[in-house]
Order: sequence, then C-alpha cells, then structure tokens
Amino acid sequence: MEYVAQQIMNALSFGAEYALIALGLAIVFSIMGLVNFAHGELIAVGGYTMVAFGALAIGNPLIVIIGAILAAALVSVTLERVAFRPVRYADPTTGLLTAFGVSMILQNIFLLAVSPRPVAVTSLYFLDWPVEVAGLRLSSLQLFEAATTVIVIIALTLFLRRSTLGLAMRAASLDFEMVRLTGIRANRVFAMAFLVSGVLAGLACIFILARRGSVDPHLGFNPVLKAFVACVVGGFGSLPGAVLGGFLLGALEVAMLVLLPQEYGGMKDALVFGVIAMVLIWRPDGILSPPVEKGDKL
Amino acid sequence: MMRLSSSQKRGLMGAAALALILIAVGLSTLWFGSRYQVRLVYSAYVNLLVVLGLQVFMGNARITNLSHSAFMGIGAYAAAICVTPTNIKAISLPDAPWGLSAFTLDPITSALIALLITGIIAFLIGLFIVRMTGIGATILSLAVLVIVHSIFLYRTDIFKGNQAFFGIPQIFSLTSILIVSVLVVFIARGFRESRWGIQLRASADDEVGAVAMGVNIYRLRLIAWVLSGVLLAVAGISYAYFLGTISARPFYFNHVFLTLAMLILGGMRSVTGAVLGTFVISFGLEWVRWLETGPEVLGIDLPEVLGLSGIALGSVIVLTMTLRPGGIMGNREIEDLFLKRG
Repeated sequence: MEYVAQQIMNALSFGAEYALIALGLAIVFSIMGLVNFAHGELIAVGGYTMVAFGALAIGNPLIVIIGAILAAALVSVTLERVAFRPVRYADPTTGLLTAFGVSMILQNIFLLAVSPRPVAVTSLYFLDWPVEVAGLRLSSLQLFEAATTVIVIIALTLFLRRSTLGLAMRAASLDFEMVRLTGIRANRVFAMAFLVSGVLAGLACIFILARRGSVDPHLGFNPVLKAFVACVVGGFGSLPGAVLGGFLLGALEVAMLVLLPQEYGGMKDALVFGVIAMVLIWRPDGILSPPVEKGDKL
Repeated sequence: MMRLSSSQKRGLMGAAALALILIAVGLSTLWFGSRYQVRLVYSAYVNLLVVLGLQVFMGNARITNLSHSAFMGIGAYAAAICVTPTNIKAISLPDAPWGLSAFTLDPITSALIALLITGIIAFLIGLFIVRMTGIGATILSLAVLVIVHSIFLYRTDIFKGNQAFFGIPQIFSLTSILIVSVLVVFIARGFRESRWGIQLRASADDEVGAVAMGVNIYRLRLIAWVLSGVLLAVAGISYAYFLGTISARPFYFNHVFLTLAMLILGGMRSVTGAVLGTFVISFGLEWVRWLETGPEVLGIDLPEVLGLSGIALGSVIVLTMTLRPGGIMGNREIEDLFLKRG
C-alpha cells in the first residue's frame, strides 16, 4: 500500500513537471497555432543564466531563480519578435519547421559559446532535502513542484478570466480577427503569450536543474518532446488539456517503470509513445478538444 | 500505348532534364574526383533518394512527416540482415532469434525482401497516419520515429543498437546509385503528374472540395505513403550496400532534420526543388564544415568554430520559412524555367 502511494506521488511529480512545460507550449499554440519546439531551449537559457550567476559568484538563491526566469521570459519575447512574427499567420507546419530551425540555432549557439559538455549548476541543491509526510518518504522538490504547478494553474486561470489582456488572449484563440476589430493590439496579445510561456519555461528550468545539477545544449529537447506529446494527447491548444495530458504522461511513465520487468527497461520510450499513438488514433484531436468539422472556420 | 496528358509530357521532359544533371554531376565526380569526393557525392545521392522519397508523400499530401529516417533504417537493416554472410553473422549476431544468423541471400533478393518488409510496415502504419491531418499526423510520425529507434537500440541481438552492424558486402558504387537515383527521379515525378498525384495535390489544397469531387483521400494518401516508404527503403539499402557498416544513430533526429531542411529549402511541392535543396545543402554544408575546423583563408588564420554547421542549417530553415515558405522552387519544376506555361 505504502509502495503504491509512493509511486502515485512520483507520478504526480513527473506529471507536474510535464504539465508545467506543456502549459507553456499550449498557451502559444492556442493563440497562434505555433508548435514551439524552441521551448526547450528557453529552459536551457535559464540553466545557462544560472551558470553565469555562478561564474559571477552571485549565490543568493532568490536572485539566481528570478534571474533565470527573467532570462527565459526575455528570450521568449525576443524570439517572438525576431523569428515567429513573420510566420504568425502561416499554417502550423510552417511554424513548426521554423521553431525546429530556431531550436537548432540556439542549441548550436550554446555549444559554440559555452561548451558541448554538461556544465555543473550547484546553486539549487538546497531545494532538495528528504521529507516524510504521513509515512511517505518524499523529496522536498516534489512538493515544491506540485505546489508550483497548482499555483501556476490558479494564477493563469485568474489572469485569463479576470484581466482584459487575459480575456483578449482567450478570445484570440477563438477568433483573432474579431479581437483585433475590438481595438486590442495584436502584437501585445502575442507578446504576452510568449512572456507567459517563457516564465513557465523558467519555472520548469528551476526544477529540472535542481534535480539534474547540470546543463548542456540538449537539456530541453527530451522534456519538451514529452510535454509536446502531453499537449497533443490532452488536446492541442487547450490549457486544461495540457495539464491533463501532462499528468497522464507522468502516470504512464511511472506505471511503465514499475510494471515493466527490468530487462524490458529499454522499451519504456517505445511503449509510452505507442500508447500515445493509440490515444491519438482514438481521438485524433486529443482528449479535451471539441470536435471540429472539416471546413469549419477556426 | 498509353496516351499522356500535356502535363505528363512536360513531367517526362523535366525528369529527363533532372536525370541529365544527376548523370553529369555523377560522371564528372567519377572521372575527376578524388576518393574523398566520391564518398561525399555518394552520400549526397543517398540523401537525394531520402529527400525524393520524402517528397512523394510530403509534397503531394502536404503532411509533414518526421519518421522518414526510421523507414530508411528499416530498409537498411532488413537488407543487411539478409545479405551478410553467415560466418560474419556468427560473430556479430550470435544470439539472433528466428534463425536470422543461419542464412545468407544474394544482394538482389535481400534488397527485394527489404523493400517488401518496409512496404508492409509502411502500409500498416499508414492505415493510421492517413486518417489524421496536420499536426496530429506529424506527431504520430514522430511517435513512429521514436518507437522504431527504441527497437533498434533495444534489440541488440538483431540490430546491434548503437554498435556497428558490420560485414555487409560493399557491392554499390557511385555508378549504381546514379542509376538508382535517375530511376527514382522518374518515379517521383511520374507520381506527381499521375492521376493519383494530381488528385492528392488537389486534396491538399482543399480537402473538403476534393472529397466533394469524389476523390478518395485516404486511399490516395496511403498509396503515396507506401510508395514513399519503399523509396526510403531504397535509400537505406543503397546506404548499407556502399558503406558495409550501419548503426542506429544515423537513422534518428539529426538525419530527420537534415533531410527535412533540404526538402524545405528546395521547395517540397516540386521534385526539382528536392534535387536542388539536396545539392545546395549537401555541398554547402561541406563548405561550412571546412570553415568550422578553422582553416587559413588568404593568410588569415580563422578560429575553430564548432557548431557552425548546426547554426547554418537552422538558419536555412528559419530564413526559408520566413522569406519563401514555398522553398526556392515553390510550385515550379525545372521545365517551367525553359518552356512556356502549357
């Protein structure tokens, strides 16, 4: 029983991380239909910012954390301005390929400017200590992560429902032309979406680095690939869908780790992606997306 | 005698023009090139086969496919397992199941079996892919890539994972791949101008409209998908038969993006674009790699810049997408450059 509870907590913690990244992807997709594969590089930007702070001998954790989040957000907004604005109204495939290109450029800039090898980030180790809750042995990191995800979901919901810009963003995901007709600036809506997405990447970066302790140019690729899958499964562009997909994927991964015999460990990814493919075949647009007839105005 | 429509006649001329260019590049390398240059041109031709295979599905159905390197891998491994002599397999694959290490076939039979296997796998996967559109289909193809790669890595008793699968007889030369690529250019162009290709392109422009006109989209996409898979297997077999050694790593993300960048730069809607993009990137990248090592140019000693080729490749994709989303050729083929619009 205790073992089961333990594994459920693990699944929740994996899921929280995926959900955090998936939300960042979904918020951009819902507004401009862009599958932002460069999201992973935002996570790496946060990591390298921490390295820079380490080199400057700034150890204050608050500064390091806020600095990393700001850097990720700043780069995200810059990317929108430089790379994604020209493909704003293009079809999703064009956007996806542009994002792939941006991701490739950033990865190689890290490789060129810093190092192809992992660089240690030690300033966040203090976040991780063992705690015991109701007889379960957990890491403080898992609790922080779960708490952050819950806070993010609440804050995002409040923002999207109560503020004018938030309302405009929700409206933009339904009918962008109409939003522009009401006099809201398109550029501001897009910039805001990328800003929020960047902040989410920065938050995810803190947890990933606190756990891994090092950053390398390809840091963001695998988490974003998984989060991307989570988004698709939940229903691309739907924010509740991204959260649902994230937790579903977390549960699936932990279940695979627990249930698969040791010698099949190498097949984990294949099986996870296999299940994902099944879900997509069952609901091609994801679990939480409304059915759309072909030819509907989107 | 089949009657050809005017666009098919133009297609035949275009394919012939492309074939001439391919033969000219190939023969001049054969006659004047060094050993290193022959290898370089060979790998460009293998990538050309991949890009042409990719074009058949992506260019006509206009659904981004990310699993193409996996199909190339399936073809390469299937042929390699059949053709490698038993005495070598006894060393390299001692624990292979189902008696895979107990037989050897001649290269042509092996290649045919590999094409058949890849075709069947492509058909089975295609049954699902063709029913989805846009991003959904792309994600599904991504899942296929990851799954196939995991299997290559996991079943080391059959595929040897990231270790080299060696001992494949090196029976292909530049001349053989030249013949194969000319053939594939005609197939790709022929499919584009065929009744199926035209209907498929129409359905990509307007899915609802095409269905209303009685086009069976799913069937057409499946045909294009399977043909694409088989051509990718041809590329994989040519790769294995020339190098003699394969491993799982070249059939994963890096290769997917490289070939995708080639197709995008040239223009995925046209076969000419596929050829142009492959040549520009293959040879351009070689030049960037030379810069990367920090050579001495005009007496100036340039520094070593690792990662330059990645930045160049990424920039090519981003710039093409922002400035010319249709690629260099757009919807045009080579004959449109010298013939009047029919």
